[in-house]
Amino acid sequence: MQLTYTPEQEAFRADVRAWMQANVPREPLATLECREGYDQHVAWERTLASDNWGMVTWPEAYGGRGLDLIQWLIFEEEYFRANAPNRANQNGIFLLGPTIMEYGTEEQKQRFLKPMAKGEVIWAQAWSEPGAGSDLAAISSRGVRDGDHYVLTGQKTWSSRAAFADWGFGIFRTEPNSKRHKGLSFILFDLNTPGITRRPIRQLHGEAGFAELFFDDVRVPVENRLAGEGEGWNVAMATAGFERGLMLRSPGRFQATAKQLIDLYRKHESHASPGAREAVIQAWGAAQAYAYNTYAVAAKIIAGGKIGAEASLNKIFWSELDRTMHRTAMQLLGAQAELKRFADGTLNHWLEGYIFSLSGPIYAGSNEIQRNIIAERLLGLPRLGAG
Amino acid sequence: MDFSFSEDQRSLVQGARAYFSGRYGPEVLRRLDLDGLCNPEIWKGLTEMGLTGLLVPSEQGGMGMGLVEGALIAAECGRVALAEPLVDTALIAVPWLISRGDTEALAKIAAGEKRVAISHVINPWLNDGDGTPLESIDPLRHLTTVEDAENDPFLLDLGALMSAAQLIGVGDAMLSQAVEYAKIRTQFGQPIGAFQAIKHQLANCVGAIEFAKPVVWRAAQAMQDALPLAPVHVSHAKFAATDAATLTAETAIQVHGAMGYTYEVDLHFWMKRCWALAGAWGDRAFHLRRIDHAVLGGEGNKWPLAIGPEHTFS
Ligand SMILES: Cc1cc2nc3c(=O)[nH]c(=O)nc-3n(C[C@H](O)[C@H](O)[C@H](O)COP(=O)(O)OP(=O)(O)OC[C@H]3O[C@@H](n4cnc5c(N)ncnc54)[C@H](O)[C@@H]3O)c2cc1C
Repeated sequence: MQLTYTPEQEAFRADVRAWMQANVPREPLATLECREGYDQHVAWERTLASDNWGMVTWPEAYGGRGLDLIQWLIFEEEYFRANAPNRANQNGIFLLGPTIMEYGTEEQKQRFLKPMAKGEVIWAQAWSEPGAGSDLAAISSRGVRDGDHYVLTGQKTWSSRAAFADWGFGIFRTEPNSKRHKGLSFILFDLNTPGITRRPIRQLHGEAGFAELFFDDVRVPVENRLAGEGEGWNVAMATAGFERGLMLRSPGRFQATAKQLIDLYRKHESHASPGAREAVIQAWGAAQAYAYNTYAVAAKIIAGGKIGAEASLNKIFWSELDRTMHRTAMQLLGAQAELKRFADGTLNHWLEGYIFSLSGPIYAGSNEIQRNIIAERLLGLPRLGAG
Repeated sequence: MDFSFSEDQRSLVQGARAYFSGRYGPEVLRRLDLDGLCNPEIWKGLTEMGLTGLLVPSEQGGMGMGLVEGALIAAECGRVALAEPLVDTALIAVPWLISRGDTEALAKIAAGEKRVAISHVINPWLNDGDGTPLESIDPLRHLTTVEDAENDPFLLDLGALMSAAQLIGVGDAMLSQAVEYAKIRTQFGQPIGAFQAIKHQLANCVGAIEFAKPVVWRAAQAMQDALPLAPVHVSHAKFAATDAATLTAETAIQVHGAMGYTYEVDLHFWMKRCWALAGAWGDRAFHLRRIDHAVLGGEGNKWPLAIGPEHTFS
């Protein structure tokens, strides 16, 4: 165990910090969930990419910097220290990218990874369906083989950023009459292909953060399938592992929130409850614990290990920590909590953050599903039988 | 930067775990409880394993290891609810004596000829002394009163760190007992572990314990490296490990139903250790206050903690 950085790692941190200082927009961008904000965020992706910061762990050939996971963590820490914008391309770089790296053909890597790292193609995840939420294996959207194409029909929903994004990655039933986890394929498609209709869904805060997608005989070339026909479930589970595991929510995000919460507490100390004070201290502790754990996971992966069902522990931890921190902030704000903008005109980002934090325990597989996974896969508890 | 244990550290843990689990099951705890805690053979065995001298420098016949190894072994002691005061002597008293340059007793401790326990004013009694006995709820703790207790902050931090590490092992053990029971006890025609209400509670314990572990290891490394902020990390460790073990104790007894309320089922030995350690070497409130001071104390405080994403390890 060596819990200090090497001089090279420190120098790397200094580089990232200097770059962020010079480049992070001074004014907060409009929300990623609306057209204007989306465009601003895509522009930011391209700024990042212009200096190869899009996805630092990827090989240079794919628009990365070929760095290791410790450097990635340092990058993320500096990213959140600088309060840099949310990643418009998070579903691409954090979920699909690693999946292509593992399952894609060389041709697919060449074709998809670089434009992803460069922020030229923004990706949406199209898995959920009206009848297949937690029970993802209930997918009914179909892909029927017709020569060297699949013809996609059906409906996807809750697809984040799909209202504006360029491409989607979805799971479709390619084997007629197949059941559950079998007969599914993982297919990438241009969201502007004829036959796809996007219908933005207003989220509770009013913006179109996700969308429904309707597929009406959409022709997609077979070469857009990732891994073998019928292997979609396994590929999707690998993607879900990346989503819940290391990448999607790096610790810096929560350490930054904890720090802001501490500052907020100082401002509101005179009317704060003792419980709020304890919650603030615990927020620091939990965010640090999450960071230590992530460094430990990174060390394990660097040593050739893998992260399995433990990813579910991470997902529960960060999503519930995020909700608790934002709830505490709302309590500290008291009567002001409901204001979208404070009387001085500044944005009440705690309110927006609190609302978003309520989705964390739902998306990326609900926390109830994660608890089932922990109980069954990590603890070996049995599934419920007929009784 | 490498948050992982070395090959040597891992084999140390495996060795200790294999040794304990072969010789030191709940049957032994029961016998010790009945016989009033004396079986000198056990201490001899611990000595032969090198554990009494784990932190004693090699010049005095010990293994000369550091506090990270100490914490790893403390966790293994918790895992088996070890009755012998190995932690008090070998993992708390020894490094404290070394810090004071008091090396006289070390060779004897390493050789298994002497046990030393040191009391701190925060818990003015000894686990393994010769004063007036005090009865703990934990039948395997042999508490006695002391005349003068020390008031040294380093001693307190050692005690708190090693208690936190033990609580990790205690928590792990209670969790696996509850999981095993949930697999075999059937009601409504299924193992109770198939019910989500049971699964989710146990999953919560896994989360609490797994996220307390790296906090404890980080604290151990901070003490090992003598970082000025080590006391804050120790408090964080004690706090996190106490909450994780307490949650797991309450969950484990609930999962066992009435069986968990009996002396016959082993769980109570570990629950009692958890209750004892939760308050030992600084209780929850004490450690929370120390973290509070570091986090909210502002400028000029004793432990100026840098906070933010870039300060994971500063
Ligand atoms: C902000 C946001 C963004 C999203 N983005 C995307 C996206 O980009 N792409 C995409 O494909 N999907 C996306 N989703 C959808 C998300 O993956 C689903 O919402 C999630 O999988 C849960 O499915 P559901 O909403 O149908 O809830 P349901 O499955 O109907 O669940 C409702 C409740 O029942 C519980 N429940 C269900 N089954 C069980 C069970 N077996 N045991 C215990 N409890 C159970 C759930 O935990 C939940 O509390 C997004 C969702 C949100 C909120």
